[in-house]
Amino acid sequence: MNNFLTVIGFTIRNKMRTKSFLITTAIIAIILSIGVNLPYIISQFNKDEPANIGFIETNAPEVTGPLKAYYEGMENPGLKLISYPDTGSGEANEEALRQAIISGDIKGYILFESNEAVGFPKVFYKSEGLMDMGTSGTLSAALQTIKTDAVLQEAGLTEAQELLLRSPIEIETTQISLTDAAVGEGKSADQQGLAMGFVYAMMILLFMGIFVTSQLIATEITAEKSSRVMEILVTSVSPLTQMFGKIFGMFLIGIMQIGVYVAVFVINVTLPHNVEMLEGLNINFADIDPSLYVFAVIFYLTGYFLYSTLFAAVGSIVSRTEDLAQALMPITFLSMGGFYIGIFGMTSPTATFVEITSFIPFFAPFAMFLRIGLTDPAFWEIALSLGLLVACILLFGWLSAKIYRTGVLMYGKRPSFKELRKAMKAYKV
Amino acid sequence: MKPLVVDNVSKQYGDKTAVNGIQFEVGAGEIYGLLGANGAGKTTTMRMVLGLIYPDDGKILYQGKPYSQEQLKMLGYLPEERGMYPKVKISDQVIYLAQLRGMSRKDADRNLKMWLEKFNISEYYNKKIEELSKGNQQKIQFIAAVIHEPKIIILDEAFSGLDPVNVELLKKTVKELRDSGTTILFSTHRMEHVEELCRNITILHKSNTVLQGNLKEIKKQFTRERVILGTETELKGLEGIAGVRQVNRQEYGYELFIDREETAQAILRHAMSQAELSRFELLEPTLNEIFIRSVGDINE
Repeated sequence: MNNFLTVIGFTIRNKMRTKSFLITTAIIAIILSIGVNLPYIISQFNKDEPANIGFIETNAPEVTGPLKAYYEGMENPGLKLISYPDTGSGEANEEALRQAIISGDIKGYILFESNEAVGFPKVFYKSEGLMDMGTSGTLSAALQTIKTDAVLQEAGLTEAQELLLRSPIEIETTQISLTDAAVGEGKSADQQGLAMGFVYAMMILLFMGIFVTSQLIATEITAEKSSRVMEILVTSVSPLTQMFGKIFGMFLIGIMQIGVYVAVFVINVTLPHNVEMLEGLNINFADIDPSLYVFAVIFYLTGYFLYSTLFAAVGSIVSRTEDLAQALMPITFLSMGGFYIGIFGMTSPTATFVEITSFIPFFAPFAMFLRIGLTDPAFWEIALSLGLLVACILLFGWLSAKIYRTGVLMYGKRPSFKELRKAMKAYKV
Repeated sequence: MKPLVVDNVSKQYGDKTAVNGIQFEVGAGEIYGLLGANGAGKTTTMRMVLGLIYPDDGKILYQGKPYSQEQLKMLGYLPEERGMYPKVKISDQVIYLAQLRGMSRKDADRNLKMWLEKFNISEYYNKKIEELSKGNQQKIQFIAAVIHEPKIIILDEAFSGLDPVNVELLKKTVKELRDSGTTILFSTHRMEHVEELCRNITILHKSNTVLQGNLKEIKKQFTRERVILGTETELKGLEGIAGVRQVNRQEYGYELFIDREETAQAILRHAMSQAELSRFELLEPTLNEIFIRSVGDINE
């Protein structure tokens, strides 16, 4: 037990002292802060003057008149129309407008060309920007309204009819639970969106926590082997203590790192301007089912211990760090597979492949967590998935310990499975 | 009971025998030489003594007790392939290794400082291994093997790659450890080190023990067959003496190989009748010759 703590302490101290670790943590924390504040920062820029759009006074005044009024009537207009006098010739007009863009007075300009067949002029929006979708989008929406208004005025509809025509269709999507008896309860669209965002963020954290940390463990073990310090270590402390001490030490490091990120996130989110922002977007973190947090922790733990023991075992049979990446390939693919199932399954969490993979231990931390977050799996399903996962951890933990015990003493070329088994027999492990 | 007893120990790797029934005992305050060509089974024997691999047959006793986790703490090991954490501070890693062997942090720190001072490298306390010269790295490795005051120390090629000054320094240290009652199992290819340090030896060849016992007695078993004559004059008729196998003219005079020790007296008389001698010596074989002969015989 004492040695176990010593190994953990050494692992943590060494990691905390490496510059790369500190720098990575700091960089990710900074990116996270920027990410959280980004909506606010963007909104700050957007409070600027609306973009100016030029038009020619005499060019389709029946459209530009209402359009100008439409934007002027808005509280926060994205665009402002500026009129330019007609010089007589079309080419001279365009040249004037171009000069206006160059001098920075306007961002773009609109031109109209009568279109007898439709009865509404064809619109040209010209600007320097490539595919300026934002501006042309709002323009299109505004013009549509103006067109509808014009038609409605002529049609002479009642006010009620007009209102009916204008009101958008409302669809309210609710995710209901098929296992609970209560009818009418479920997650609203806002809550679903929030759950989706939360699950997405968790997937990335899980992947980082599990995969990145496990990879570090494998690298450190191989480094110990290639620097031959392993020979002294295995004669000082039992390989099992050493392996699990390392896994546990790195686990604490991982938790600490995630803790820093979560703290940075929470601090940023609780800043007054961000609270306002979130309220405006209808995001309330209290809406997340608290059990989801618990499951996030459970799947992080199980996923971590499953993969870290496997990575440790592979790390122990490789003698040189150069060979490590290749040897890790199979389990790297497994963990990547789990991650991508999680990410791609997000759009269809009830798909069969998500359901099946949620019972396969290597993918379960991602797939099952996805299902719990976005759908409503039965309790027995969760229990079965977790049970299989834990059984798998015990099995692979035991196997990895055996491989580790053998692997750390084998130098030279990477042993085949047969050689490994023979060595295990010879070493009596 | 002696501190380290290796009793009829064998080890197989698959169908290949790595060690076949090796048997020896090492007393307190004794340096025991374990010799053998590459691949003879030395490393396997040491690894079994260290408890890294278990013998198929026979047993190893430490102070009369079988191997257990507790025994690890009184073992010290200097591996043939040197290795420390290249990027970790020396104080950190040496204290860590001492702690793993049951030492308190404080004691380990005190011992480390004591050893660094002894080797005149106190300034490396806060350095990293990769910043040190090879010789100094080996000193640190040696400190890591002995810092926890082990009762039994296993030194695999302890002096390889060191300059003569550092070899002397470490040799002196090993002798001091021996005199303070430490049991030392010593393996090397350098026979002159064995002759200087070891009381008893075992020579392994292809997994088998070919020669074992007290170094002095082993030497006595081999006939003294080399005669050195120091003279500046030319000697005639040396080849004609009965029992002389070979005569070599050397810078210092003559080197003769003989069949029986009595021949030496005949050579002396013959030489003195012809010239003045500055030196006459009847030499016992060097361990190097004994080693090559024991290992070589079987090769033929």
